[in-house]
Amino acid sequence: MKQILLVTDGCSNVGMSPVVAAAHAKAEGIALNVVGILDYGDVGELGASEIEEIARAGGGLSRLVNMRQLSQTVQMMTRKTAVQTIQLAVQKELKQVLGNGSIEALPPEKRSEVVRVIDELGETSKLQVALLIDASASMKPKLRAVEEAIHDLMLSLQARQGHSEIAVFHFPSSKYGEDCKLDLDWTDNLKGISSIFTKFPMSGTTPTGPAIMQVIDFYRQGDYGKKGRDDETDGMMSDYVV
Amino acid sequence: MTTSFKLSLRRGAVVTGKWKHSRYRVERLLGEGANGKVYLVHADRGWCALKVGMDAIDLQSEINVLQALEKQDRKHTYLYEVDDLFGPDGKEYPFYIMRYVRGVTISEFLAKNGPEWFPLIGLNLLGKLAELHRKGWVFGDLKIDNVLVSDYGYVELVDYGGVTAMGKGIRQFTEIYDRGFWNAGSRSADARYDLFSFAVLCMMLHEPKKLHALTGGLPQTRSIEELERLISECKELSPVAGWLKQALAGRFYDASEGAEAWRRLLHRRDTRVKGSKTPGWLKGLAAVSAVVLGISLYWLLRSSI
Repeated sequence: MKQILLVTDGCSNVGMSPVVAAAHAKAEGIALNVVGILDYGDVGELGASEIEEIARAGGGLSRLVNMRQLSQTVQMMTRKTAVQTIQLAVQKELKQVLGNGSIEALPPEKRSEVVRVIDELGETSKLQVALLIDASASMKPKLRAVEEAIHDLMLSLQARQGHSEIAVFHFPSSKYGEDCKLDLDWTDNLKGISSIFTKFPMSGTTPTGPAIMQVIDFYRQGDYGKKGRDDETDGMMSDYVV
Repeated sequence: MTTSFKLSLRRGAVVTGKWKHSRYRVERLLGEGANGKVYLVHADRGWCALKVGMDAIDLQSEINVLQALEKQDRKHTYLYEVDDLFGPDGKEYPFYIMRYVRGVTISEFLAKNGPEWFPLIGLNLLGKLAELHRKGWVFGDLKIDNVLVSDYGYVELVDYGGVTAMGKGIRQFTEIYDRGFWNAGSRSADARYDLFSFAVLCMMLHEPKKLHALTGGLPQTRSIEELERLISECKELSPVAGWLKQALAGRFYDASEGAEAWRRLLHRRDTRVKGSKTPGWLKGLAAVSAVVLGISLYWLLRSSI
């Protein structure tokens, strides 16, 4: 299971539309969740609807929260989306078996068995979450809460039975450079890491769309590398199958 | 994160199950959990509680836990019926019917009946947790709202949404009661997780303000030491201070070991005599009412955000 969690407090203003980028993520089998932080930000009506639309295009969830609720929101969204990913896969299988796509439409006894499978897979499947943090100027006072939420998420993921990893990016990387910067490569442990965001060039631009694209690329490169090691042809193929 | 759940059933409304066609008349809302709302309903068999969920998968997952518990213990009925209902909006919602548990929260009980009930209620609660632990389950979301007390300090756990098989990740928790939140251990389900929450619950009953104040600090500074200091400063908790510190540190293997240690404290004279003199009792009563007011205000403010 692959997820991107976007944490932002406003509207994107540079580059490709984040909604298009989110749809790309979904096409790659990556669910995209979005959290908008409300405290002294400029989320506004426009930002709020953008946040909702990004998540819808990315097949994930969106929430607008205060900093205080951030940790709990992040861990619950991640969990819920993981269950949803499994649910979608199971539903697809069900369609073939029963000609009935919806788990809700099953009678309670059958539903019970299906949900048991979903729960079990949700707890044991491998899970990767790439966190993409908006580091535009207005986010500065919120970064401590974001770091706390990341630590808290790691704690929840470590309690799962399946292997879980997170990676952390922030955007924009710098005024002229790339769209987003990798702060922390895939890891299953944050012990000893007191500060994830060290040097942050705070800038005014918010290239949400291009940053999402870069994280998708990061996922694809990782897949390519792994598959290439196991099976050369498979790795080659995945580049063409979109 | 409480997802807004718009379905609400009116008093007097009659709910008919889609599959089993049983009818239930809605009396009033009893409470709201993370997975749905609980109503008091009247059925042919008498008063029951109906929990209606917003998400079929989430609620079914909770039902599966209750069914697994039932299989282990034939004496105890957790579930009367599982079905779907049509809401006033025409959509289908999953629900289940369970026993109606009469009672008030521990803080309400202590405010009404006096603080000298606290040690016994604590013991009864540990007994309930011990039952779950023996069967390989952890309650998970232990907090004041999820414990109901009835006459003579009889205790029932309500809202099984957090109940988790040992070894898995805790399914549902509340930050302030969570071991991970206090940097005091993992979020994996083990018996000591519940005992940690139990200790926080005791603090919440006596020092809710100070406890909430501690959550405002930096995450790195949240620690067992902070909680221990709070326990040492609280006069009402002094008879059980040592026990609470052990529970926070995960020194009890499970709730039955914890209950045994608690019982030993209970039968010491100084624990029992505390708070039995009239002036002390009155003071305690005033303090507990203040505490209840504090909690209500806190929840009121929280839910209105």
